[in-house]
Amino acid sequence: MDPSAANNPELLRFLNEEQQRVMMNEAVAKLTSVCWDKCVTSAPGSKFSPSEYSCLTHCAKRYADMSMVIIRSTQSKK
Amino acid sequence: MDFSSPSPGMSPGMGGGQSPEALMEQVQAQLAQAYAEELIETLRGKCFDKCITKPGSSLSSGESSCISRCVDRYMEATGIISRSLFTQKR
Repeated sequence: MDPSAANNPELLRFLNEEQQRVMMNEAVAKLTSVCWDKCVTSAPGSKFSPSEYSCLTHCAKRYADMSMVIIRSTQSKK
Repeated sequence: MDFSSPSPGMSPGMGGGQSPEALMEQVQAQLAQAYAEELIETLRGKCFDKCITKPGSSLSSGESSCISRCVDRYMEATGIISRSLFTQKR
């Protein structure tokens, strides 16, 4: 069996899936870092306070919203 | 993540005698390792920041428990972010 990816569709599919997984993990890692800095302002407790929890649950979506606003506004200013 | 640059233990042409299954396992193991290393490095930064405000001559028990809570909370935060990114609310 030829193990080189070019001739092996199963290997190609696998590499593609792994690449997707890596990209998703990196997106989560980056957002977690940003949201942690934004939301966890004091020393970590044995659980999140209600405001920390609320901040974290909203953070990722608001970051995505902001991203859209930025893209739209940079497109309209040529 | 760049699949074209060699990483330790993985050289081009390594596919040569190896079955695709073994190769896939090797790739997954290396990716998991890289992910773990990146996570640990992040945890170091965040928890040093939050828990060790003034480095003393040794780690106090307060600092140690803070670090432990920090790791737990950060993992929890990762789950929260991951769920909010990949679940659609109707």
